[in-house]
Amino acid sequence: MKFGIFFELSTPRPFSREIEWRVYHNALEQCRLADELGFDHVWAVEHHFLEEYSHCSAPEVFLAAVAAQTRRIRIGHGAVVCVPEMNHPIRVAERAAALDILSNGRLEFGTARSSTWTELGGFQVNPDDTKKTWDEFVRVLPQMWTKDAFEWEGRAFSMPSRNVLPKPFQDPHPPMWVTVTSPGTELDAADRGLGCLGVSAAGFDEQERRTTEYHRRIQCCDPVGGLVNDQVHTMNFLYCHEDYRAARDVGVPMVNAFNVANSHLYWTREAHPTTAYQTLGNVGAALKPRKAVSDDPGVARGLPEGVGVGDPDHLIATIKRWESIGVTGINFLLNAMEMVSQEDVLKSMRLFASEVMPVFRAEQDRFTAVYTPATVHEFGTVVPEVRR
Amino acid sequence: MLVGTASVDDLAVSAANLTEFSAGAVQFDDVMCFQVIAEMRNQAREAILPPGLHPTVPAALSLQVWRVGDSPWGAFNFALCRVSCRSGVRARGMTTAAYVTTEAAASNLASTFGYPARIADIGFQQNFDSARFTVSSADHEILDITCLDPQPLGLNDVQYTGTLNLAQTPLGLRLVQLEEQHQASRVERLNASLRKFDAAAWGNPLLDPYWIVASSLCAETIVCSPIRFVCRPDELAFTGTEAVAGSSRG
Repeated sequence: MKFGIFFELSTPRPFSREIEWRVYHNALEQCRLADELGFDHVWAVEHHFLEEYSHCSAPEVFLAAVAAQTRRIRIGHGAVVCVPEMNHPIRVAERAAALDILSNGRLEFGTARSSTWTELGGFQVNPDDTKKTWDEFVRVLPQMWTKDAFEWEGRAFSMPSRNVLPKPFQDPHPPMWVTVTSPGTELDAADRGLGCLGVSAAGFDEQERRTTEYHRRIQCCDPVGGLVNDQVHTMNFLYCHEDYRAARDVGVPMVNAFNVANSHLYWTREAHPTTAYQTLGNVGAALKPRKAVSDDPGVARGLPEGVGVGDPDHLIATIKRWESIGVTGINFLLNAMEMVSQEDVLKSMRLFASEVMPVFRAEQDRFTAVYTPATVHEFGTVVPEVRR
Repeated sequence: MLVGTASVDDLAVSAANLTEFSAGAVQFDDVMCFQVIAEMRNQAREAILPPGLHPTVPAALSLQVWRVGDSPWGAFNFALCRVSCRSGVRARGMTTAAYVTTEAAASNLASTFGYPARIADIGFQQNFDSARFTVSSADHEILDITCLDPQPLGLNDVQYTGTLNLAQTPLGLRLVQLEEQHQASRVERLNASLRKFDAAAWGNPLLDPYWIVASSLCAETIVCSPIRFVCRPDELAFTGTEAVAGSSRG
């Protein structure tokens, strides 16, 4: 079981230069501590215009700072929004390669397509097209990272032959992931040999169903790159305290604050009728509260099953349950809307590392390579497909 | 956290009178339902909603025009404007104004569901490759939308959100939560142009649909369930929600 930390960089109102500075620098301090404590990954999302919920619009810049201030934790660029109106694929390849070099080969590369109209509308993206352009991105990026001469004629973009530089430090390229919100995306990940990066807090049953099918499908995948990444990571919250009740008193309001900020976003399906988005938002898509689902507006969504809020014994039991259903890693949100003081966040991380982490991994294993994805041997010998 | 700042007393001036919470559902058959979504400028988003609701990011409104072929109250046309919002964490639209073509429908929509429906002329013109929707009140044009190039979609590809109507109810002034089931038999997406929108006539001069997002036209049956929940307009839904007698909280 791998453990990561995960940043939306949520920022409470009233907005000010100071609060955004504090959110960013608190996160950097958490990254430095995570590196010391033996956490495996730090992930930073890419979101635009999502007031309060996420002020993390330039994750490659944030992650470059993380890379410079840490020595072993892997750098999760996750996920890059793979629509050309937001990110040209050449620039995506270039930035990721530079980040891999600067981090001494610690990059994990996540891909996504965005689920809010708040973002897609701001960039004038047609929601019908995002799945198509995502598919094109994930197929061309490994080629750009490994070919001296790359040319392409496609739907999202076209280019004459060029050498896209620099190349990543990792050979053949960083492991690739897909963020999974909507049911079915885990199958898209499996078919392409990509890791499954859960970003919505699915319940045990739903996660088990998805994980089982993912592991089955990836056995016969057609890899888009030079690696098959068969990891399944899920997103969770973390607040660990010696006293269970004290943990819930702090952690539950944090989870609720995250859900409320999330609910304010304007979901693509709500704004724009389309076949391409079948669920209303990432929290609503998969989160299974303990209470029966109702349309009662007085009921908060409730804590998801298996949430990482509690004392060490509770967290150990919870993580064992996740492990038992095939999840290979958990990425934790440590705070939301700065509801938890920085001092308490750091204490929670230390307690987790001292009391929970060792149950899942021997001390010496914390500082070894996170994992070694399988290399696709024929990759690089095949002439890139050029669509004409 | 974003919350509305509008004066509940000011909003109450146009509130309908919901006389009793009906026990039965109401079914509208042979309905053509047009909906257009437009973004509004964020400056007005808090000022339009009461303190019990959260605006969306970005602010948006939806306009709906229904042509109802058959209902317990006969055939009628119906038009309403709703501001997109959240009640607790749930996606909703709060009605700012509504118009209807018959007295019977107006009185029943108000007394059963709390719609502040007023009488108007509502034009619903549907051609092979275009459509036009108009609303005129006292010979004053307050809405004119034209649409072109319908494109077929799947039957479940249009997302409707629940409606909130501010109304005087047996429990007092409340946001009445409507739960509608739209059972579509044909769905199209269209390119809409807003030629006329009289903000004041739609309930608030701050309404500003400056950026059309998308529009849809559905042939469907609409079933409105009995009211189960109402919310205090000046209190967040987490604490200000009341279950209506005869319904149960899930």
